[in-house]
Amino acid sequence: MSDLFSIAYRPVWTVIIPSVVALLILFSGKRPNARESCTLIGSVVLCYTVLSMSPVVLKYGPIQFIWFNLLPGIDFAFKADALGLIFATTSSCLWILVSIYSIGYMRTLKEHAQTRFYFSFALALLGAMGIAFASNLVTMFVFYEILTISTYPLVAHEESPEAIAAGHKYLAYLLTGGVFFLIAILMTYFLVGTTDFSYQGILKPALSSTSKFTLQIVFFCFLLGFAKAAWMPVHAWLPSAMVAPTPVSALLHAVAVVKAGVFGIIRIVCHIYGIDLMHTLGLGLVLAAIAAFTIIVANFYAIGQNNLKRMLAYSTINQLSFIILGVALLSPMSITGAMLHIPFHGFMKITLFLCAGAIAAITGKKTISEMAGVGRILPVTLGAFLIGAFGMCGAPPLAGFISKWHVALGAVDSGYLFFLLIIVVGSLLDVVYFFPVIRRAFFAKVPEDETLKGDLEEKVEVYAGKKRGIEGRRALYLFMIVPLAITAIFSILLCLFPNIFSIYDLAQTAVKNIFGGV
Amino acid sequence: MSHQFPAIIVVLPLVVSFFIFFSGWWVKRAGYPLAVGALICCVFLSFSILISVLGKGPIHYWLGGWEPPWGIEYRIDHLNAIMLVLISGLSMLVAVHAKKSVERELPAKTALFWSLFLLFITGLLGICITADLFNLFVLLEVTSLSGYSLIAMGEKRAVYASFRYVVIGTMGASFYLLGVGYLYIATGSLNMADLSQLLPDLTESKAILAGFAFILIGLGIKMALFPLHGWLPDAYTYAPSAVSAVVAPLMTKVMAYAIIRVMFTVFRTEFPISILQVNDLMVWFGTLAILFGGVMALSQRDFKRMLSYVIVAEIGYIVGGIGVANFTAMQGAIFHIVNDAIMMACLFLVASLVMYRTDGHRIADFKGIFRTMPFTAFVFTVGALAVIGVPPTCGFFSKWYLLLGGIEAHQWGFVTALLVCTLINVALFFRVFDRGLYVHSHKKGPDITEPSNNPHAGEAPLSMLLPAIIVALAILLIGIFNQFIVTNVIHFAVPVGL
Repeated sequence: MSDLFSIAYRPVWTVIIPSVVALLILFSGKRPNARESCTLIGSVVLCYTVLSMSPVVLKYGPIQFIWFNLLPGIDFAFKADALGLIFATTSSCLWILVSIYSIGYMRTLKEHAQTRFYFSFALALLGAMGIAFASNLVTMFVFYEILTISTYPLVAHEESPEAIAAGHKYLAYLLTGGVFFLIAILMTYFLVGTTDFSYQGILKPALSSTSKFTLQIVFFCFLLGFAKAAWMPVHAWLPSAMVAPTPVSALLHAVAVVKAGVFGIIRIVCHIYGIDLMHTLGLGLVLAAIAAFTIIVANFYAIGQNNLKRMLAYSTINQLSFIILGVALLSPMSITGAMLHIPFHGFMKITLFLCAGAIAAITGKKTISEMAGVGRILPVTLGAFLIGAFGMCGAPPLAGFISKWHVALGAVDSGYLFFLLIIVVGSLLDVVYFFPVIRRAFFAKVPEDETLKGDLEEKVEVYAGKKRGIEGRRALYLFMIVPLAITAIFSILLCLFPNIFSIYDLAQTAVKNIFGGV
Repeated sequence: MSHQFPAIIVVLPLVVSFFIFFSGWWVKRAGYPLAVGALICCVFLSFSILISVLGKGPIHYWLGGWEPPWGIEYRIDHLNAIMLVLISGLSMLVAVHAKKSVERELPAKTALFWSLFLLFITGLLGICITADLFNLFVLLEVTSLSGYSLIAMGEKRAVYASFRYVVIGTMGASFYLLGVGYLYIATGSLNMADLSQLLPDLTESKAILAGFAFILIGLGIKMALFPLHGWLPDAYTYAPSAVSAVVAPLMTKVMAYAIIRVMFTVFRTEFPISILQVNDLMVWFGTLAILFGGVMALSQRDFKRMLSYVIVAEIGYIVGGIGVANFTAMQGAIFHIVNDAIMMACLFLVASLVMYRTDGHRIADFKGIFRTMPFTAFVFTVGALAVIGVPPTCGFFSKWYLLLGGIEAHQWGFVTALLVCTLINVALFFRVFDRGLYVHSHKKGPDITEPSNNPHAGEAPLSMLLPAIIVALAILLIGIFNQFIVTNVIHFAVPVGL
């Protein structure tokens, strides 16, 4: 029995734990406290399982586990390598915090269908873990689809016509993407007879039997398949999906969904095509051009938004393309930066979303124009927002600086100085849309007719502890505030000590694997 | 004893069917236990036949000891064996399910129902076991006639739908019979193995060509291949729930089996593919069927009618896969026959469960099922995801083989149609999901998920629900362990020469 818990089985446990949690949630739906305990305990156990693998992987190399044969020459197999661990660490750590936050948020707003919400959330984590540790494309596809479908009820959670429309948009983009992903997998299998990820890529032998053009087409099928990465023009689902409750936005933007997209692109570029083949086919530059276009355009979209969450959504699109750009530059430095940006952006963006959610849940304000004076009501929340915003811009004492620095170095390294310019301009544009929010929240004059009155005033006093609210109201507020404070602190710590959770070592190992010790 | 199994598996349901019919005059309740008992025996028999085929290779059985080509021969290889298991297994589950549903929908005709039900299964089992073309016709008529009567028992419009089915179906049977007649005139034989020896010398004969064409058209009508599908949607929509749950998944699939048998066993592989090149035509018909079925399904408001058009599309998958005519695609087609039967049984069972509670099978009747009927909703989710082709359900894996076969043969039209249909299926089933999931929509009106507002809320009885859950689990298990089935059975079921 003790064998089952040994390190060799850990990659499988990462998918079993969320499935068990999902089932338990389903059967404890009538008792909310038991249900939330399942989520919390499950997330902690999952996080421990994932973190326990890093030292082993760093020391001895990937942990491979073949479960059973799925199709001829394709196993249902897991491989925990350095790259996968970066993504899995991000998702599993953030799941704990989002779970705590969800309790506060969902109960404050008295949301309906909470069992469905927690159930789908656990399934989405199952998808994310599977994507992180899949050792071949088909296994990855299985979990990719699980992630897409389990997130649909979350996006449409509000069940208003607008939310359902957003859900449909989400499905239309991502499942159409799924079909392209499938055809790309089939072509890969048809061309080289395998779909296993390998450090140097697997498609190179195909050059002898097929034209460059076919491989380029297949690459675009893969890209369309990873519509989750929200590169332009397949990004439209992401801003629409912000109608969902905030914990869902956190899941989409930080924990799992979009990260699965960029993670997939890194896998394809590095482990299916390989750096050499990308150079041969000239795809790096094309990908970088797409990313650069998205960075600039998404920033301009963001400037024009008044809804806070919608603005953050465009900011995510911009940051994701930043990761894609890092990969597309194909230099060791920039790929390190791209990999680091997955967890770093995750921590910073989740801070911002949790802040937006807390503001909306406590004060009911959702647009930037209403933000005046919020900083004085919710100082901790807006302080965390400030940290997150600085991080997005890549300001030094924050995690974003490290990853942006690496990508910028990579841009210099690869000789495309144009992309360095894009990085700089992109970061400056970040400032343009984040700072009005902060300025308004802290320094703007509160209009006369919008002074704290009625229900809001009471809420604020309860929040500040001056007044006893409805039973447990203040505790619920704290459930929201504490996680976002933690993520904000981590956004700083990750800059000062980038090796928390061995993330930096993992990224370096992953890059070393790809470049074979170059 | 065990060498008599091939005969018993057909004779047993036949005898029990007559017994139920006559005993029905005195004991109305005897039908259900007798039918289920007989079908459980069939499941046992079919599994033991399958195991024997897997172990010792094809079984030959001469009815009455008459040697072929004079006597009727039953011949069972991997392809028939898996079909037998499929038919007996699914029909047994549907029979268990059907009790309550029949008592509700056809209170006065229970004995008749069970008698016809077994007769229908007899015919299907017979079609899959026989190695004689004329015997196949006889059993085809047994199946069809009992099928017509079963369907006619349904709602008001079922009689009309069934009559239409009778007219078109009889034409199909006549075409088939004509074709067999031509072959008999040219060769003097009806035994499949014997014919396959004789036919290669006669490939120039116009009579053989005509016979082949007639048989193909006849079976095409019976399997509802676009554009010969006209009878199907009405018949399956208005039939009683229990009937559509058994007829819809099995009838068309068994016909698909018959087409594979005739094309590749009777005529050998060279004739249809190298000489006539009819397979390209089949790919095109398959492609059109997929697109037509998908688009028509999109415009339906009735769940069963939508499923009927999905069947038309799925038949396109299978026919297209046969037409692609390489090993991979044929594996996919055969695997898809199995999978599609199970998927459709699953979804028609869901329709029956919902019908039992809400007295309707429109998509609107699915409102709130995720709240009121969570287990039914689970079954529906699995079935729907399988039709869409989401891994790890079985639907994904047959689609994988079909797509890969299509790519290998450079049949890009077929591949594209398959992928487009996947997306259409997404739209189809997520429409139902929306109904089932989102009941809080901010419109006014009573909340039907509140038990006080909806007397029907709640799951159907366990005897109805359990078979559906078993079918849903089968979809998942077949998907996960598909390699076991593919390498042990389907690999050997692919016709020689591909």
